Amino acid sequence: MEYWTQRFLLTTVCLCGLTTPALAQQMPPSIEVITPEVERREITRAAIDTEDFEIGVSAGLISIQDFKAETTVGLRAAWHVTEDFFFEAYYGSSQGDQTSYEQLSGGAPLFTEEERDYQFYTLSLGWVVLPGEIFILDRYAFKSDFYLIGGAGSTEFLGDSWFTVSIGAGYRLLLNDWIALRIDVRDHLFDRDAFGVEETTNNIEVTTGLTFYF
Amino acid sequence: MDMTGHQYGNDPSNLSLIKALLIVLAGLCTTDSLATEADFRSTVVEPYIEMHTQAGRGYPVFYVAERGESVQLLKQRTDWIKVGNSRGIEGWVHVDEIGRTLDQAGEPLKLTSPGLNSFHRRRWEFGFMLGDYQDTDSLSSYVGWHFTRNLSVEVTAGETFGDFSDGRQASANLVHQMFPYWRYSPFISIGGGIRQTNPRSTLVTAEDREDYTAGIGAGIRIHLTRRLILRLQYKHNVVLTDRDDDEEVTEWNIGLSAFY
Repeated sequence: MEYWTQRFLLTTVCLCGLTTPALAQQMPPSIEVITPEVERREITRAAIDTEDFEIGVSAGLISIQDFKAETTVGLRAAWHVTEDFFFEAYYGSSQGDQTSYEQLSGGAPLFTEEERDYQFYTLSLGWVVLPGEIFILDRYAFKSDFYLIGGAGSTEFLGDSWFTVSIGAGYRLLLNDWIALRIDVRDHLFDRDAFGVEETTNNIEVTTGLTFYF
Repeated sequence: MDMTGHQYGNDPSNLSLIKALLIVLAGLCTTDSLATEADFRSTVVEPYIEMHTQAGRGYPVFYVAERGESVQLLKQRTDWIKVGNSRGIEGWVHVDEIGRTLDQAGEPLKLTSPGLNSFHRRRWEFGFMLGDYQDTDSLSSYVGWHFTRNLSVEVTAGETFGDFSDGRQASANLVHQMFPYWRYSPFISIGGGIRQTNPRSTLVTAEDREDYTAGIGAGIRIHLTRRLILRLQYKHNVVLTDRDDDEEVTEWNIGLSAFY
């Protein structure tokens, strides 16, 4: 008997519980007094300061084949596409001196001064193959990148433009988040027929420079 | 100039200086708008996010920001975002991890590393190409701006290197891609430009000349990975010379581009 009483009471309670929301739904909807006007602020890529570009200057030596090693100055701009790869445009300028033949023979110069201007640009893809970190004392750590770089460009020398392939490697040490020291070694290869016979020339360049990220 | 690079942990003397500066700045920034412009904070909702010492996947994790901790987004380089917390600890977090944090309104940040979706939505494209311009080596670079999903304008500048002459050319092209949502996305192009031909200095008789060009082309862009595109294209150019016949020039190119 007691069991039946319990069952009856429980059923009643359950039914009440089920019907109450149904009753609530039948009531007219409450009037919304305040419309929330929350301004959604989306942080997009544009909102954060991105520093994927690197520009800088460099200076060093270039050994022009059949000419002396000369000083070279250059401008470079890079775009870091990922942490591993970057595109780089590099413009360099130097001046070829007399060839060994001209010096020894003592005859008339083979080229005018203007033709001896050595100017080149390369468009390259760099691959950061050994990213690293170097440590000074106990508490300073600087980011470093060793990269391989290769590309193509043009060299203007001895009165003509020559299709140039550039290969090389470099080392970049970030002094802070946006200033980097660089050391670059490149071989600029191009076929030249200025001496009558077409030959492949290797023009090896060693530079050091300072670049800035922005 | 700050020459300290990255510092592990926090230095009390630096911190007090930063605090002092912050107080001064807070005094200066009386309006709300100024503060919200410069300050992007987000809250960690995942169990944790890892801060690396430098921007790269191989660099050690030196700090872990826990759930509920608020970090300030300072700057971004490639796929890494430099963040700082209230205790002055700064480190680099991958953009995908930051993308799972919440902003002040409680919404997830719309940040992800670029992929195929970004390729579909790209606005700017930049790259360089190597190729063959009527049996001479050619080198060019281009910039493209997508003003609709299908249409873009491209400006190309290049050089050619032949046995008898070298040349420079620049052109502007309208490019149409038929299927912008394909990973292998074909396109056609039409445009015009100018070409300067300089005969080799070993040839004494010929003169430099400058001609207008018109060209049509077709090609394909292939999304490689992240922000990189491989581009193959063929172009048929007509060089409008002063002579009796115009020159017809075929051009093949292979290039590597990045988009933004």
